[in-house]
Amino acid sequence: MDPILWNDWHVVGDTAALLHGETFATALLGVALQIARAEDGSVGIVQSDGVPVLCDVRYGFIWACLGTPMQPIIDVPELAVEDMTAVIGGAVSVHASAGRAIENFLDLGHLGYVHAGYLGAEPETAVASYNVETLPGGGVLVTGCEVFQPNALMDNQGVMIGYSYKVERPLTAWFQKILLDSGTLVTTAYLFAQPVDEDHCVAHTLLLVPGSAYSAADIRGYQQLIFLQDKPILENQNPKRLPIGPRMEIPILADKTSIAYRRWLAQLGVTYGVVREAAGVPA
Amino acid sequence: MIASIGWHPVAASSDLPTGHVYQTQLEGQALAVWRSAEGEVNVWEDRCPHRGVRFSIGVAVGNELQCQYHAWRFASGSGACTHIPAHPTQKPAAVIRATIFPVIERGGLVWTRVAEDHSEGTVPLVRDGVVMRALPVNRPAATVEAALLAAELTGATFFVQPLAEGQSVIRGIARDEASLRTLDSALERLRRQLEADHAVI
Amino acid sequence: MLLYDNAMLPECYAVRLLSGLLGVELDLKTVDCYPGRQHREEAFLAINPLGTLPVLDTGDAFLRDWLAALVYLAARYDSSARWLPTADAGRLAAVQEWLSIARLLQSSAGAARLHDSIGMATDIERRRREAHDLLRMTEKHLWFGERGGDDWLVAGAEPTIADIALFVHVILSEEGGIARMPYPAVRRWTERLRRLPNFALMGGVFPMPALDASRTLLSETECQAASAQSATH
Repeated sequence: MDPILWNDWHVVGDTAALLHGETFATALLGVALQIARAEDGSVGIVQSDGVPVLCDVRYGFIWACLGTPMQPIIDVPELAVEDMTAVIGGAVSVHASAGRAIENFLDLGHLGYVHAGYLGAEPETAVASYNVETLPGGGVLVTGCEVFQPNALMDNQGVMIGYSYKVERPLTAWFQKILLDSGTLVTTAYLFAQPVDEDHCVAHTLLLVPGSAYSAADIRGYQQLIFLQDKPILENQNPKRLPIGPRMEIPILADKTSIAYRRWLAQLGVTYGVVREAAGVPA
Repeated sequence: MIASIGWHPVAASSDLPTGHVYQTQLEGQALAVWRSAEGEVNVWEDRCPHRGVRFSIGVAVGNELQCQYHAWRFASGSGACTHIPAHPTQKPAAVIRATIFPVIERGGLVWTRVAEDHSEGTVPLVRDGVVMRALPVNRPAATVEAALLAAELTGATFFVQPLAEGQSVIRGIARDEASLRTLDSALERLRRQLEADHAVI
Repeated sequence: MLLYDNAMLPECYAVRLLSGLLGVELDLKTVDCYPGRQHREEAFLAINPLGTLPVLDTGDAFLRDWLAALVYLAARYDSSARWLPTADAGRLAAVQEWLSIARLLQSSAGAARLHDSIGMATDIERRRREAHDLLRMTEKHLWFGERGGDDWLVAGAEPTIADIALFVHVILSEEGGIARMPYPAVRRWTERLRRLPNFALMGGVFPMPALDASRTLLSETECQAASAQSATH
C-alpha cells in the first residue's frame, strides 16, 4: 500500500450528514469503514472486522488515518478569521480517482466552458500566464491567475477575479478568489478528496465567505451547482486514475499547475489512484 | 450471417446526423464516430489526448469535433488539433491529435478495424437493403453469432459487433422496409432468450 | 410563482426547464435538502407533508408533485397547447403514458443516481436493471419514430411535457452507473431537446450549440450519397 496516502489524514464524512445515534458506511483506500456517531456526538470508526481506526472530528469533518500520521491534520487558518461564513458543501461521490478531482479543482482552462456563464465565458477563454512555485515543505503554490467571471458573486455581474491555488497535501487543494480591482476577498475554498478506492472518490468541500451577505443554503446551492457541472467531466475521463508518467496526456502552457501537481505526486512516490506507465495509451 | 476478418460495422450511416458524436466500442476499444459538415465519416478513439475526456460527450461543429472539457477542436480526417481556446492565438503543436481508425462506409453501415495484427481483412460486399436497428446484447459475440445461426432468420444479413467482454451488438441489413419491425421483434426475442439463460439471480 | 428548489434534483430541474421554455418567470427558494435536511424540518413539512421537492406555489395551491407542476405550467401558460395537447385525446393519453414511464425512471435511474452520488440506500443493481429495461423500450420507440419522421416521444411536430419529464432522468443516468451507449436514438433525442431555444441547463447537463437550420439532419438520400462517395475512396 502507498505509504504516503496510507499515513495521511483523509476526510471520510461530515458531521452535518451524520446525526447523533447514526452509523454510516464508507471506504478509504479500499478499506471498508463504519462510522458511528454516539448520542453524545462522539465519533468512532471501525473496519469491517471491528478493528478501530484512528479518527478525529475537526472543522465539521470526520477525519481518518489508516496508518500512522506523518503530519497533523491540515490547518485551516481562515476559520479563525472573524465574521467568516463557513459552509460544508456536502459530500458527493464521484466515479473518478481523487487525483482527477483535485486536478480539475486547480484547472483554469475549463472555466469558460464547463462553468460557462458562472466562472467564465466565451470569448474570454485565454489563460494568461501565471506563476507556479514549489512550497518550502513540498507542494504547489500558484499565484497571479486572472480570470473574467460573469457570475462569481451570484449577482450576474461580470468581474475580474484573481485566483491563488495551493496543494500542500496530495489530496487536498485550496484556492482563494479576490476581486482584482480592489483586492477584496471573495471566497476561500478547500477540496478534500477522499480516495474511496483507486477509481472512486468523495469530494468534500469547505467554503469560507467573508461577511454574512449570503445564506449558508445559497452558498451550498451555488457550490453544488458548480460541482455538478464538473462531475460528468470527471466521470468521463479515461483512465479513471490520474496519469503522472511522462507523455501520457498532452499538457499545454495553461496546464502549468497540473504539470506541477502531477510531478509532485510522482516525486513523493504516490502510487495509489495514479498511473505511471503509458500502457495502452499511444505516446 | 457474414463473417468478416478484422473489420466490423460500428454504426449505421443514419446514426450520424450533423453535430452528433456517436458512442460505441469495438473489441474493448472505445470509439467516437461522427460525420463532418462536408459528409466525411470519422472513427476515432473516444478520448481527447489532452485530459482523457471521452470525445463522445462533445459535439461536432462544422468539420471539427470539439471536446467538452476545454473546447479543444480536432479536424475531420486527420484528427489534428486545430484550436486551443486557452491559447487562442497560437497554432497547436502538430503532435496533438486524436487517434484515428480506418473507415469504410458500405451498405449504409460504417465499418472500421481496431485489431493490431496487420493481416489484411476486408469489408464484405453486402446486398442493398435497409439497415436495421442495432440491438445490444449482454452476451459475448461468439454466443450471439451461434444463436443467430441457429435461429435461421431469413430476410436479412446479420453482423455481430463485439463491444467489450460479454457484450455485443447485432446489426443487420434487411431486404426491405416492410420486414423491419418483424425482424426487430425476432431479434428482441432472441436477446431475451440469450440474456435469460444467464440472468443474474 | 415560487418554486421550492434544489440544484441537485432532476425533478426540480424539470420544472425550471419547462418554465424557461414557456418564458414563465419563477422565483426560486433553495431548500438545502443535502446535507442540510431542510426538507425534513417542520417549516417545510407544513408545506409538503411528503417532504419531497420540488413544490410549486402557484398562489392558489402548493403543487407537491413535479409532474403535476409540469401539467399545471403547460395547461396554464402554453396557449398553443403544444406542450400538453389537451384537445387531442390520443396524444394526451400518450403524454400521460410517458409521464408514467418518467415516474418509473425517477424510481429507478433517479434512485440509482442518488445512491451513487450521495449514498441513498437502495438495491442498486435492481434499480439499474429496471432503468435499462425502460431505456430499451424508449430506444425502440424513438428509433422507429426517427424513421417515420417523428423527433419526439409523442407523435407530432413539437415536443411535449413527456419529453421534458423523461429527459431530466435520462440525461443524468450515467451518474447512477447507467450507460447511455446502448441507446443511440435516445442520445440523439437528448441532443434535439438541448438544441431547443431557451433550453435551461442544470449541473451535469451539457449545452448543445445551435445548428445551422439548413442542415439539421442528413436525409436518408444524403446519407446514401455520402456513403457511396466514401466507399469509393
